[in-house]
Amino acid sequence: MAVHANTDGRLTRAFDNDWIGPGIVSLAAVIGISLLQPAFLSSFNIFVLVSAISVNMVIALGQLVIIGIGQMNLALGSIGGLVAISFVGLMERFGVPVPLALGLALGIGVLAGMAGGYIIARTAISAFIITLAGLQIFKGINLGITEAQPFYGVPESVKAFGTGSVLGPLPWLVLPMLICSIGMWYLFNRMRIGRHILAMGSNPHAAEMSGIDPKVTIIWAHALSGLLAAVAGVMLVAKLQIGHPAIGDDWLISSFAAPVIGGAVLSGGRVSVAGTFFGVVIIAIITQGLVMFNIDPFVVQIVLGALILWAVAINRLREVRIAKLQARGAGA
Amino acid sequence: MTALQVSNVSKSFPGVKALNDVSMTMSAGSVHALLGENGAGKSTLIKIITGIYAPDSGSVMMNGKPVRFANLRQAAAGGLGVVHQERNLVTRFSVGENIMLDRLGASALSRVDYTAIHSEAEKWLKLLDLEVDPRTIVSRLSVAQMQLVEIGKALSLQSRVLLLDEPTASLTPNESKVLFRILRRLRDDGVAIGFVSHKLEEVFDICDRVTVLRDGVNACDSADLTTLSRADVVQMMIGRAERITKRAPRAQPDVPPYLELTDYASGAGHRDISLSVRPGEIVGLYGLVGAGRSELARAILGLSKQLGGEVKVAGKPVHITSVAEALHHHGIGYVSEDRKQEGLILLHSVLANAGITLWSKLANRMGFLRDSSINSKVAPVLQRLELKTPSVYQTIGNLSGGNQQKVSVAKWIAAGVKLLIIDEPSVGIDIKTKAYLHDLIHELAEQGTAVLLITSDMPEMVDVADRILVMDGYRIKGEVENDRNYDAVSKAIMGFIHNHAAA
Repeated sequence: MAVHANTDGRLTRAFDNDWIGPGIVSLAAVIGISLLQPAFLSSFNIFVLVSAISVNMVIALGQLVIIGIGQMNLALGSIGGLVAISFVGLMERFGVPVPLALGLALGIGVLAGMAGGYIIARTAISAFIITLAGLQIFKGINLGITEAQPFYGVPESVKAFGTGSVLGPLPWLVLPMLICSIGMWYLFNRMRIGRHILAMGSNPHAAEMSGIDPKVTIIWAHALSGLLAAVAGVMLVAKLQIGHPAIGDDWLISSFAAPVIGGAVLSGGRVSVAGTFFGVVIIAIITQGLVMFNIDPFVVQIVLGALILWAVAINRLREVRIAKLQARGAGA
Repeated sequence: MTALQVSNVSKSFPGVKALNDVSMTMSAGSVHALLGENGAGKSTLIKIITGIYAPDSGSVMMNGKPVRFANLRQAAAGGLGVVHQERNLVTRFSVGENIMLDRLGASALSRVDYTAIHSEAEKWLKLLDLEVDPRTIVSRLSVAQMQLVEIGKALSLQSRVLLLDEPTASLTPNESKVLFRILRRLRDDGVAIGFVSHKLEEVFDICDRVTVLRDGVNACDSADLTTLSRADVVQMMIGRAERITKRAPRAQPDVPPYLELTDYASGAGHRDISLSVRPGEIVGLYGLVGAGRSELARAILGLSKQLGGEVKVAGKPVHITSVAEALHHHGIGYVSEDRKQEGLILLHSVLANAGITLWSKLANRMGFLRDSSINSKVAPVLQRLELKTPSVYQTIGNLSGGNQQKVSVAKWIAAGVKLLIIDEPSVGIDIKTKAYLHDLIHELAEQGTAVLLITSDMPEMVDVADRILVMDGYRIKGEVENDRNYDAVSKAIMGFIHNHAAA
């Protein structure tokens, strides 16, 4: 067939990259706010900002992998919270050494995610319902163990990791964030399981017809999500220096907001790790920046909401444009 | 050499015998047409071959061995490639990755070797003469290219039997030609190709064998197509009279038409459509699948743009833009051919389904609806239709096909429509309910409802309609006054369809 595929100009192809838009917005926000308020670029402020970004990025990645397969994970925060209190509880009550406690805590996250994924895959009940139930169950276990009281026995080494800096104003917390981000980028773009997750998210019927096992893929996605929630839970313990039972309670909204601002499509199949990163950055800058200008917190909420709408509108416009391109291709 | 053999397969669903003792033999190096009108059993047969349904009796053999695939993945592994009507590609992935999607790596955590994948995919693209870089993202391809990528994907699984379900439905004539050239080459390489299509020109162009199904039985089993004419094939698809019609021609009241179309053209592709339906008259719209009948019904309801001509309802020119407008302002109701998708809300009760057209009329001043007020309107209609249900609160999905159809007619009667468009009323319905539905349509007409009946079932048409319009290629080809003489009428109808073949 002598019909060649459509090729666009370099500019429109760059526009197709999910991270360009949020990247430009992030940069503009940094420049704008630092011009108005030079203290924004103080090394203390950068340290605080990057710490928050690091933790929130790992949380967002935990949601991103489930968005990729076209589902949602409402239990993300409660898994992270359960892992956080288990991590500190093991060290405080049983004197478990840090590396072993870390391994066990991450294991709990993976198992909790897998359990949800298994039920979803097995029963074909919507992930929304199953993870909603999971949210309640894991939170209940959390409160049962802690009796709603924090664990304080966080070892010095862990505290140092959460509050120290590795290089100038960059906190140690940047490292797990970088490892998780690069790992997830590699997974989505270069590993069989990542491609299968995205194929399932794009077109579950086609994926199954092509010989992809939907059940295995769903369980994998939820196990990965549980692992990332666990990593974020441990990072927060280090950052807050306490095993607080309320860890994870406030993850839900931003875990969806950042991927969506970063160009992810909630119906699945389309995710961007870099876009999500800039989504996290934008949310952090707005939150931090507005605080610096003494603007009421409710404005932050409204701005965040408006930002999500804006991002969704941009995504929709792009989809329409692609559909038009396709229609033109079909007519040729 | 026999590649795929279906022997004496039967399959029943509650209330319907979908296939009865059906056989088909596909040979290597042959393109085999599978034909039949809607509801003839083609899709059931394909689902049995691919393992989605288990046959009640009979067997499917591939290369001499009996096979019973558990799912489509197994079928693919067994050398049976199926290209479905709907596209099954991950549009955000590259062409190569789509072709190799199930072979991306040895384990879940394996790295995907894109160089290897794209060079392997390229082999299959070359085989199909598809000059597309395997790295191209599928969403950038044309529909025809996507079709070929799917064929490439099926072939890359070493399929020696390839089933194509209406592969040309979304292709232009030129693209179809390219596809056929490739299919001929695959055939010469010894692939057995099954070809489902409604376009008879294509069938005669590319196929050498034909199996025709009608009402779930073989009208012919793997016949040599070269010995058959188009007329023979149409004859087999439509069938002869199975029964003598019992109704006498009805005298037509001399009243002005309720609906009148003059030189109507639609965005769906209709041209020069002129028709009229009078109150109390049953006008049949006959044509093979793809003639544009259901599309015409949907266009009248405002689901396609009116591009030209005139539509008059009760003598006044109108411009209908939505189904709600068609119902509430013009009293036009539509019993959809696709009961489950468009006609009924299967999870809701009988009452909710039958009353849905009345809600806006019956809601009281506060906007509240009461079951009792709906029931008082709906119950007499349901009673008249002799609906068999434990109660009006029964979930409609649990009723038989015939009873479901009664409810989908009831909701329009309850709404008091002046014109009812009925599309393929007896698909998936047993003979007794069918006869009953025919009586019902007549009764409606006697009471002054104008009826536009769409059906591919010739005996049904001759039994029910007063006047028959023959459609082909989105145009009206002719009109037959129905004198209930089956042979004469069916001959006249086929005459109009054949005219097109000769042209």
